[in-house]
Amino acid sequence: MNRIETSFENLKKDIAAFYKPQAHHFITMNGVDLGNDVIEYQWFFCDYAFPSDITMFVTRANVDVQVPSIKNIIVSAWLPEAELVDLLGVNIEDTQKGFVLELDSETAPLRKK
Amino acid sequence: MQVYLPLSVLMIRACHALQDKFQIEIMKTFFKTIGNLFKKPATIPFPAAPTYKPDDYRGLIVFDESLCIWCRRCETVCPPGAIVFSQNITDGKQTYHYSPYVCIYCQECVRTCPKQGCLIQSAEPGHPATKEHDVNNVWNKLFADSLESRVTYAAEKKKQQAAAKANPQS
Amino acid sequence: MSTQYNIPVGAQHISLLEPLHFKFTTENEKIIKTEANVGYVHRGIEQACCSKFKFRQVSFVVGRVCGLCSISHTTCYSQVAEKLLKLDIPKRAKYLRMLVIELDRIHSHLLCLSHVAENSGFEALFMKTMRHREFSMELLEAVCGNRIQYDFSIIGGVARDLRTDVAQSILDKFKIFRPQLDELVDIYKTNWSLSLKNKGIGVLSKEDAIRLNVVGPFARASGLGVDVRNETEELLPWKEVGFEIITDTAGDVHARNMVRLKEIYVSMKIIENIINGLPEGDLISDTKAFPEGEAVNRIEAPRGELFYYAKGNKTQVLERLKIKAPTFSNIPAMVETFTNNEYASVPAIIGSYDPCLSCTSR
Repeated sequence: MNRIETSFENLKKDIAAFYKPQAHHFITMNGVDLGNDVIEYQWFFCDYAFPSDITMFVTRANVDVQVPSIKNIIVSAWLPEAELVDLLGVNIEDTQKGFVLELDSETAPLRKK
Repeated sequence: MQVYLPLSVLMIRACHALQDKFQIEIMKTFFKTIGNLFKKPATIPFPAAPTYKPDDYRGLIVFDESLCIWCRRCETVCPPGAIVFSQNITDGKQTYHYSPYVCIYCQECVRTCPKQGCLIQSAEPGHPATKEHDVNNVWNKLFADSLESRVTYAAEKKKQQAAAKANPQS
Repeated sequence: MSTQYNIPVGAQHISLLEPLHFKFTTENEKIIKTEANVGYVHRGIEQACCSKFKFRQVSFVVGRVCGLCSISHTTCYSQVAEKLLKLDIPKRAKYLRMLVIELDRIHSHLLCLSHVAENSGFEALFMKTMRHREFSMELLEAVCGNRIQYDFSIIGGVARDLRTDVAQSILDKFKIFRPQLDELVDIYKTNWSLSLKNKGIGVLSKEDAIRLNVVGPFARASGLGVDVRNETEELLPWKEVGFEIITDTAGDVHARNMVRLKEIYVSMKIIENIINGLPEGDLISDTKAFPEGEAVNRIEAPRGELFYYAKGNKTQVLERLKIKAPTFSNIPAMVETFTNNEYASVPAIIGSYDPCLSCTSR
């Protein structure tokens, strides 16, 4: 697994430079609560030609910081982003709450209490 | 007119031929349907006849108390928490409790058991629970009580040991 | 511009097996826009796996994510946990895992095909397909001891051995099933009334499949050859047992049916090869270690690529487990594929997606 560290400022630029629709498959986006309100964000890609190589873009940030969306580069990214907004209670650009969980249900179940 | 007349005749003939072909197909389907009436059904007349069940079916767990060494490993590994041991407060004797309704028949307890033959998976399927069983409430209460009885016993024993240490003469 | 109508389908609808909600905007009969809601069966399994259950128990919990591809979930989790534990499993266990995954694929594909037939209005074919599917359920029951929740893969190997009489019965039943499958292929391929509902309906082009990162038979029917079995050899030796990739180019409902039917032949070939060349050895290798670090794993479930991410912290309970189900990847494409189809074609198109909502919202 290739691990590429990035930051929110460079995220869109890095992924746009890396992602070739013909060559890469976007697997999913993930978030891990590291405790103390710090979330690790991960974007997983695999190569159609060399599929054992899974590339992971990683960045860490406080929970309040708005995450840039990669919907403009990868259209199908809206679904994992919408899920993360509900399950981790994070703030992602252009993404509304209420896709997986109802608005009146428990908020952010995957966060460490 | 003279050109069209033979053409129309030809078309009518073609239509007839097609019709014959369709009629043959229809007759074939008709006889097939009649034949199907006398075939055996594909379904099993359950519950009058038994359904398929392999002889090593994963069924209820059977416990043999005489072999148990009371290590409580089966309780630790059980994913749904269908096994619990309670403890008598006075003499410390443990009792095995098992809920066939909570069990998922995964065989994890049988694999973990250090004593061969103490826990066995039988081929008898689990029975569905009814409202009278009140599965969740009864089992949850038993589970909580069992854990509490062990805590009480441990505390009691500790107290006794402490008392024995304080005055070793008695 | 003609009048636009909003038509909801779901969450409870006669053509859906599971709760899924689509909101269609139509102009006359033509669909111009679709919105989807997939979160009706969110059960919080990821959270339960990281708090309530120990890492060895989690392989039984993730088996309950989905009833149809239970074995794919347990195998994928077992593999990712083995990566965290740095555990190597015996070759016999690998072969038995592949055997059950392929048997599972046969019954899942036949269920999907029967569902397409029913949603296209062909009830008789639905019953015929379901009848021929029954043998695969019985074989799974004979191999795993349970009909739905197999619990066959556990961390370190497999839970049960394959008995020789069961192996022989698999081969015998395949001999009966092969002509039945030929007959099914003939009906799905040539039936005229079914073709009206299936051919040229719900077309997803290869460009769209690439753009929307589609996986599984949905992508393969559009000519995008993604199949995890074709790609990775490190954990399960697919090429060794005769896997070959099936693709089609049309991208419509009919092409998806054909891909699934042809994949059943490949699965049968794989199972026969496995039974004839089953290596001897242990079933399970054990370790006392605790999961540490992070790992990812992918596996080809009946509906496409299944992805697990796990992070351990040297304790009994995992720190994070992420499950990405195949239908989850396909939903953006599903929503777009409805566009420009007639509203009456919607049930057949939904059936051909083979959506599994229990996996998707977990």
